[in-house]
Amino acid sequence: MKGFDAKWRDVPHFIIGITKEIWEDREIASLTHRYREGLVVRSPASVLVGNDRIIAATMATLAEFPDRELLGEDVIWCEDPARATDATDAYLSSHRLVCTATHSRPGMYGAPTGKRVAYRILADCAIRDDHVYDEWLVRDQSAIVKQLGFDVVDWTRQLIAREGGPERCVQPMTPATDVAGPYDGRGNANEWGQRYADIVGRIMAADLAVIPAEYDRAVSLFYPGGQDGLGWSDADQFWMGLRAAFPDATFRLEHVIGRDDPLMPPRAALRWSLHGKHSGWGRFGTPTGADVYIMGMSQAEFGPFGRGGQPAVRREWTLIDETAIWKQILLKTGAVQ
Amino acid sequence: MKGFDPKFTDLPDYILKITKEIWEDRGLRTLDHYYARDIVMRFPSGIVRGNQGVIDGTLATLAEMPDRQLLGEDVIWSGDEDAGFLSSHRLVTSGTHTGHGIFGPPTGRSFTIRVIADCAAKDDVIYDEWLIRDYSGIAIQLGFDPLAFTRAEIAREGGPEKARRPFTPADDVPGPYASRGNDNEWGQRLADILTRIMDKDLTVIRAEYDRAVRTEHPGAIGGWSWDFAETQWMRLRSSFPSAEFAIHHVIGRADPGQPWRAAVRWSLDGRHDGFGLFGAPTGAPVHVMGITHAEFGPWGLRREFTLFDEISIWKQILLHTGDI
Repeated sequence: MKGFDAKWRDVPHFIIGITKEIWEDREIASLTHRYREGLVVRSPASVLVGNDRIIAATMATLAEFPDRELLGEDVIWCEDPARATDATDAYLSSHRLVCTATHSRPGMYGAPTGKRVAYRILADCAIRDDHVYDEWLVRDQSAIVKQLGFDVVDWTRQLIAREGGPERCVQPMTPATDVAGPYDGRGNANEWGQRYADIVGRIMAADLAVIPAEYDRAVSLFYPGGQDGLGWSDADQFWMGLRAAFPDATFRLEHVIGRDDPLMPPRAALRWSLHGKHSGWGRFGTPTGADVYIMGMSQAEFGPFGRGGQPAVRREWTLIDETAIWKQILLKTGAVQ
Repeated sequence: MKGFDPKFTDLPDYILKITKEIWEDRGLRTLDHYYARDIVMRFPSGIVRGNQGVIDGTLATLAEMPDRQLLGEDVIWSGDEDAGFLSSHRLVTSGTHTGHGIFGPPTGRSFTIRVIADCAAKDDVIYDEWLIRDYSGIAIQLGFDPLAFTRAEIAREGGPEKARRPFTPADDVPGPYASRGNDNEWGQRLADILTRIMDKDLTVIRAEYDRAVRTEHPGAIGGWSWDFAETQWMRLRSSFPSAEFAIHHVIGRADPGQPWRAAVRWSLDGRHDGFGLFGAPTGAPVHVMGITHAEFGPWGLRREFTLFDEISIWKQILLHTGDI
């Protein structure tokens, strides 16, 4: 890890380590050097520019959820020689976390509910020079909202109002609000990443038969809204419901990582987008024709129990931010009251 | 695999395929072949002897929940064709309670729980077995309180005199499988962790478990990180603080393209003399049959699956106190 503090053994150690230090050990000020000045952090809900914005957002979250814990489940990463220099190595890390927290203070989720929440985040961070310099992040907002006891659509409507109404509210990430950053890598060429990219690509091309062909019959599934599933039919229902709502949207694979580490299952991490009209019946109710941009992230672990002894997807995690999708739909339809 | 039908490529393939064949493909009569005539099946709820009893038990379960699905999550195994294999098979099973049976009149409710079955296999036949299913997980999801459910079960079985007796070592029938597993380091590591927990050295969890560990325990409950695992194990041990802990079977595996895994079958045997999971201490003699599976990762124990049967424990307590 040339260019990084010598205390970090490897990419997962760095990512899991700085996450704990920033959030739980309250080294929030360290973001001034651990996050590049002027970096862009994209989440489906907003595009933030500058580490001062990240510091503010971190403090707002901790003010609302002071006991928040960030448990790093996995870090699926790749080398990035194109952006390495003589002084530093460069990497892209796709970090899967489980967060637990108590909603004990007022904040963007409204008045404190006292509820305990547990939800996942997938975060892609481009790192070099001992800091994060570009980021894409999907938080399972609908899981949080549901666990706090709210209806996802009602809560989104109230959020628009709390943010000052449809004209002034925070604009979700779309190609129009996105800001290009220095990282434009596409991942690595490892076969497991390619394999998973191909599977999700086939699903998005309506080839749902890929699920029984390429997923373990006992696959464990972790989907948006904190929805856990099991087996082929749950995978089918999730992906079907998503694609059915946006049948004409353009699917793009933005980033693909595969890894085959010793004594770990083969793993893959994808970042993808779906952009187009809300023109079908599916996960998001009556078609509205709203133009919607979805940033999605998926990770998978492969295992040995596929058809004919072939490898198959044994665990899958996919996140989209359903509140950001509803926000785009509500802003388009004007059904904000 | 010598002695096995050539359609099976390896032991996990054999276990996954015969499970589907027997249950979901309705091949009950394949048990005439796949299960030894005089097999001993040890459940926490009691012993079943002979494959005809297994066929009847399978039929009764399918009649009660015909849509039961059995998804094999993992097969952690040891042994070989000559000595016999031992497969520790972890399943997630789901179904809808639409018929009469051991859960009483149909509730129409659905459940999803885990089962771990330790099966000895040789020459295409299962010839010895230990099986734990998350019985309280089913009861809770069907809408029953586990204690009230156990009382109702005792009544359904004809009252305290006639009710089926849960498994204890005194009733055990030794079967032909006598191995204690393999000596792979990951099995030893899990066995050491469990031994330290049972020695009340609870610091072992923070030392050996990944901070992001996911732990699944009986009653179909699961949780994140160290404190959940600690709480679960403390409540079990605290219910039986003077009971004797024993490890019966240990498997570790380091297969290419898979995480390091371990499967340990263990027991706690002694008195219900503490608070924890089973209310006020009653002094009831209790035997707890347990199986734990683990996956290890670069940051410690990463996934833990433990099963014991809370209903069979409640039953031993109720039959002792007579508080029926």
